[in-house]
Amino acid sequence: MGGMDDLYREQILEHHRTPHNFGQLAEPTISVDGRNPSCGDLITMQLQLDAEGLITDVAFSGRGCAISQASASLLTDELRGKRAEEITALGSPYVMELLGVEVGPSRIHCALLGLETTQKALATWRNRS
Amino acid sequence: MSDWHTPGGQLDPLKVRAAYPILSTTPGGRPLHYLDSAATAQRPKAVVDAVSNFLLTANANPHRGAYTLGGDATAAYEGARARTAAFLGVPAEELVMLGSATEALNLVARSWGRANLSRGDVVLVTEAEHHANLIPWQQVTREVDADLEFIPVDDVTGEILWDRLEGLLKLRPKIVAVGHVSNVLGSAAPLAQIAPQIHAAGGLLAVDGCQAVANMPVNIPDTGADFYAFSAHKMGALFSGGGLWARAHLLNGMNPIETGGDMIREVRLRDATFAEGTQKFEAGTPDASGTVALAAACDFIDDLGREQIHAHEVRMLERVLRELPEALPDARILGPRDAKDRIGLVSFSSDLVHAHDLATILDRRGVAIRAGHHCAMPLHEQLELSATARVSVAPYTTDEDLDALFDGLRDARKIFAR
Repeated sequence: MGGMDDLYREQILEHHRTPHNFGQLAEPTISVDGRNPSCGDLITMQLQLDAEGLITDVAFSGRGCAISQASASLLTDELRGKRAEEITALGSPYVMELLGVEVGPSRIHCALLGLETTQKALATWRNRS
Repeated sequence: MSDWHTPGGQLDPLKVRAAYPILSTTPGGRPLHYLDSAATAQRPKAVVDAVSNFLLTANANPHRGAYTLGGDATAAYEGARARTAAFLGVPAEELVMLGSATEALNLVARSWGRANLSRGDVVLVTEAEHHANLIPWQQVTREVDADLEFIPVDDVTGEILWDRLEGLLKLRPKIVAVGHVSNVLGSAAPLAQIAPQIHAAGGLLAVDGCQAVANMPVNIPDTGADFYAFSAHKMGALFSGGGLWARAHLLNGMNPIETGGDMIREVRLRDATFAEGTQKFEAGTPDASGTVALAAACDFIDDLGREQIHAHEVRMLERVLRELPEALPDARILGPRDAKDRIGLVSFSSDLVHAHDLATILDRRGVAIRAGHHCAMPLHEQLELSATARVSVAPYTTDEDLDALFDGLRDARKIFAR
């Protein structure tokens, strides 16, 4: 029961209601869609990177459950000033730390959508440059 | 009436529950309120007993053994096919036993479709189809350069606009493929009405019966269908298993998709001739235990009574339609307003609580519902929804299950409205 209340605690709901960095960048270096085929959650992640691979700006948009949107919002707050390689190395423990709660196997794909979309964006950027 | 009914002859879900051991389990330490029978029905003990009895006393490879046990296995398999055929009102010689309804629908599209469709021909499906009755038609029409056309849905309720059919029949579709009951909307297609229209326009009618056979009386000849596919696990049998009925002359004109053992007449090194009838489509060792389970599921459903099951489910759905808007006021309910026009399920969305969050919060009370696109992404796109929550009922659904559902919906509203 406690775990559930944690999952929908105020910080997460707040990020769901008023997500940070929500919208579009004027000139993103890269813009990538991520989707959960099993549930239809959708996130578009836009990044601005300098020549050294440092993330200088970020925005996301999308639709989906509170967990997918709140974790994407929490993640975007952390991205500025980070290098592409640092993000590529991150996994589910990092996202759970951001959320401050263990997410069970049936919802972990929601929690990871933002990070995975960011990693996909960085991989696309790397292949391009 | 039997053990499962009230003195008045209505289904008594509290008695029925006793036949399903899983309903007394407590996953995660909570009593189980299983409201996802449209995804897969729970299995009555009678079905599991029938399977274990077959495997422990009659197990051998059907159609092969010259010994007594082999004969017993063949008799069990063919007897189970005959029982299932009788349940659906069709001859056993016209009922092909397959691995799933998906396999059955793929067989129609790939075998009948490849043999009968060519460039410029039209295939008609609804915008609400389950992916299993859509993608096989996308594939085959692309292969032969035929056209895939759609019976549209209402953008708000999702209801299939059957009055558009008449105009679409001017395209003279070779085949019209529809779900008997929509797995998202819960509405039944007016098959008896549309079948003569389709036939008069020179087309055939293929029906995906997955959501119908366990929840309402289905006598296939009354539907007017030319092909009818169904799934075993939605009837309380095993995950493996499904079937396809088609008239003998249609089956005879179709080529097998799978080839191998048990489906041949004669095999030489460079060619082979195939068996007649259903056997042609049942390559390899048949799923005897799955078919035995299916027959036991048919027995059990008939024991409960298909009219009684339907009446009970309508009573449960009436309550869902009445109380859902009280528990979650912004719920957008898809499909028919009247429970009497529904078979087995209600899907809805809410701007306040996303379907996945709802499912997670309901799980806290042991309430199991489905959240997602239910393998009908195009319908959800049409309604501008990414996901819906689906509540589906069964003969074992009780008022306590629905109480827990509404309590959970109020929990969700409290969490998200704060």
